[in-house]
Amino acid sequence: MVLVMGQTGSGKSSLLRLINGLVPHHTGGILAGDITVDGISTREVKPGSLAHLVGIVGQNPINGFVTDIVEEEIAFGMEALNFAPDVMRKRVEEVLDLLSLNSVRNRTISSLSGGEQQRVAIASALVMHPKVLVLDEPTSALDPIAAEEVLSVLHRLVHDLSVTVIIAEHRLERVIQFVDRIIYIESDGETSIGSAEEILEKSTLVPPIIRLARALNLSEFGTSVREVRRLTSDVRNIEINAETHSRASTSPVIEVNSLHIQYGSDIALHRISTVIGQGEIVALMGRNGAGKSSLLEAIVGVLKPNAGTVRVYGGNPAELAGSQRRQTIGYVPQEPADLLYGQSVKEECTQADTQAGLSPGTTFSFLNRLVPAISEHAHPHDLSEGQRLALVLSIVLSGNPKLLILDEPTRGLDYQAKALFTLALKEYATKLNNPVLLATHDVELVAELADRVIFLAEGEIVADGSTLDVLLSSPAFAPQVAKIMSPQPWLTVDHVVAALRENS
Amino acid sequence: MTKPLHPLTMWVWSLVLSIGIVALDNTWVALATVGVAALVVYLRRDGSPWNATFWWSLRIGVFIIALRALIGVLIGVPIPGTELFRIPILELPSWMPGIRIGGAVTLERLSSSVHEGVIIASMIALFGAASALTSPHKLLRVLPVFIYEIGITLVIATSVFPQLAHSVKRIRRAQQMRGMEKVSLRSIALPLLEETLTRSLQLAQSMDSRGYGVSRRRSRYRPAPWLARDFYFVLTAVAAATVMVAS
Repeated sequence: MVLVMGQTGSGKSSLLRLINGLVPHHTGGILAGDITVDGISTREVKPGSLAHLVGIVGQNPINGFVTDIVEEEIAFGMEALNFAPDVMRKRVEEVLDLLSLNSVRNRTISSLSGGEQQRVAIASALVMHPKVLVLDEPTSALDPIAAEEVLSVLHRLVHDLSVTVIIAEHRLERVIQFVDRIIYIESDGETSIGSAEEILEKSTLVPPIIRLARALNLSEFGTSVREVRRLTSDVRNIEINAETHSRASTSPVIEVNSLHIQYGSDIALHRISTVIGQGEIVALMGRNGAGKSSLLEAIVGVLKPNAGTVRVYGGNPAELAGSQRRQTIGYVPQEPADLLYGQSVKEECTQADTQAGLSPGTTFSFLNRLVPAISEHAHPHDLSEGQRLALVLSIVLSGNPKLLILDEPTRGLDYQAKALFTLALKEYATKLNNPVLLATHDVELVAELADRVIFLAEGEIVADGSTLDVLLSSPAFAPQVAKIMSPQPWLTVDHVVAALRENS
Repeated sequence: MTKPLHPLTMWVWSLVLSIGIVALDNTWVALATVGVAALVVYLRRDGSPWNATFWWSLRIGVFIIALRALIGVLIGVPIPGTELFRIPILELPSWMPGIRIGGAVTLERLSSSVHEGVIIASMIALFGAASALTSPHKLLRVLPVFIYEIGITLVIATSVFPQLAHSVKRIRRAQQMRGMEKVSLRSIALPLLEETLTRSLQLAQSMDSRGYGVSRRRSRYRPAPWLARDFYFVLTAVAAATVMVAS
């Protein structure tokens, strides 16, 4: 199992698509050198001829589905290559069992959850019995539990079925315990290839678990929770004074009262009430489909509730218009490309500058700090997912709106960009005393950034408290540092370091 | 009625019954057949997106009846009979003889126009019922292989339309958030086009990676069986149609 890691936009997706020939046959460009898969060179054959050798699952699997029923989707590839019907039947049954998809085999793909769709995409690649399975950020859109499922399936494929799995990921903490080798693409295009230990020892892009080992000056570092726990038993045994943080009461900015949203017969939000005050950074967590996006859209004012009220700074957000709306609410949607309509990065940035009345170049310099090396003349659709997200974040943040609402803001961002993003948001919340509300699956981000966590399930709030309380009480949603340091109440590497310093 | 019908069954049923309706040329029988079709759609609907096709075809039918009645009343050969009301005659140049716009509106003229409209609308409703109950993907699988290749592009194209409507809503909403209240065609059209193209490219890449188009022949995963119930369905339609044609 090989991990491909690197900064946003460094070329991970391109590397993966080189393996099955999509680059350069589909994307164009100049290819020097050669890649052979099982003796077949990708220069000489089209991707279709490698279909039986290489299975690829892209970043947005839903855009790659051809049919509407799970079982037919899985059989599609085999039909295209003219397999005999009995062989097809047998293989479909095998793959359905392997990926536990038997219960959903007759359902339409659009009705499945994100994790199930991801598994269907893997199943349709796997059914050809490829020797190599290539996955581009398979867990980025999944909640922690679904991500664990997918990764354990991949682990099983490697160990039981001897499939070679090549995976590109930003959230390294989930994956590094399974990988054998890492390909690290540096910003200048040079790559280093080696075992997990070799690369992680020297790399700048490291998950919290390695940062912890470095901060504690451990002689060796582990890649899984269990390994690091064994190395840090003495750290866990120190005495700490339990501090109680009382939340400073602040004037309310967002007031949600008995909000009820229903799509046909599906109840998305069931009489939710909550208050968010000034300067608070609140994280909204929950499984896919628990109602997070609906709540955000209602607060932003683009979704009319069936019952109940939402008040933002005392007014109804749905009544805001034009520049007033832009100045009051800054919204980064789940699909960041929706906000972009310019033809180049430069055009988008100058537009944002003029709309917000800033000096020209502000947005672009913000963008450069977040993700460096984006060319001004690039077309927004040619950027990588993470670069596009960074562009939208810059556009929204540079205007300094009075309230920030973000839906899955860190999908596709590497650790450095995430750290800068966290810093920018914290600055925004403290300097301007404005609240930030974000919906996310990224537990590590929540641990670093949020003061308060609201947990949604089945349209209702099941937990609402300080980050420390909520994250520590849930085994599935606890960050890795918390799992390592359990039962001590530390969520991030900084907490651990600060506690140690206090103690000595 | 839990086992699905063969994809062609409803189409054969509709075809045969429309032949009967046209041959018999009776308004009430046509309306009764549409009623039967509506009942069948109601009983066999399964919540798929194409079930709405039947109601759309009914709407189109009503529109056609109204249009036909209007044109028949305004233009055409006057049939003598009971006069309902008069509309002023529009003078036409002398090189358009034989057509009169306006004049006396007779009951006979109105009812014959409506009758023709009803026949056309019933045929459309029958075919609407057939498309409402047949999954386009399943239909493709039973067609000969050379049509499959063209067909699958059509199917993918039709699945683009609900996505398109969804995309327009999302883009409009996002642009509102950026403070643009009035939305010009250019500002939506461009991102929409780009998004649709990107999606199509991704789909093409996915299909190519799975080997689509490599082999000249395709196999069939699960051929749809032609069951006894399909026979009964078609048989009842043929029986009804023979009665209609014979009388």
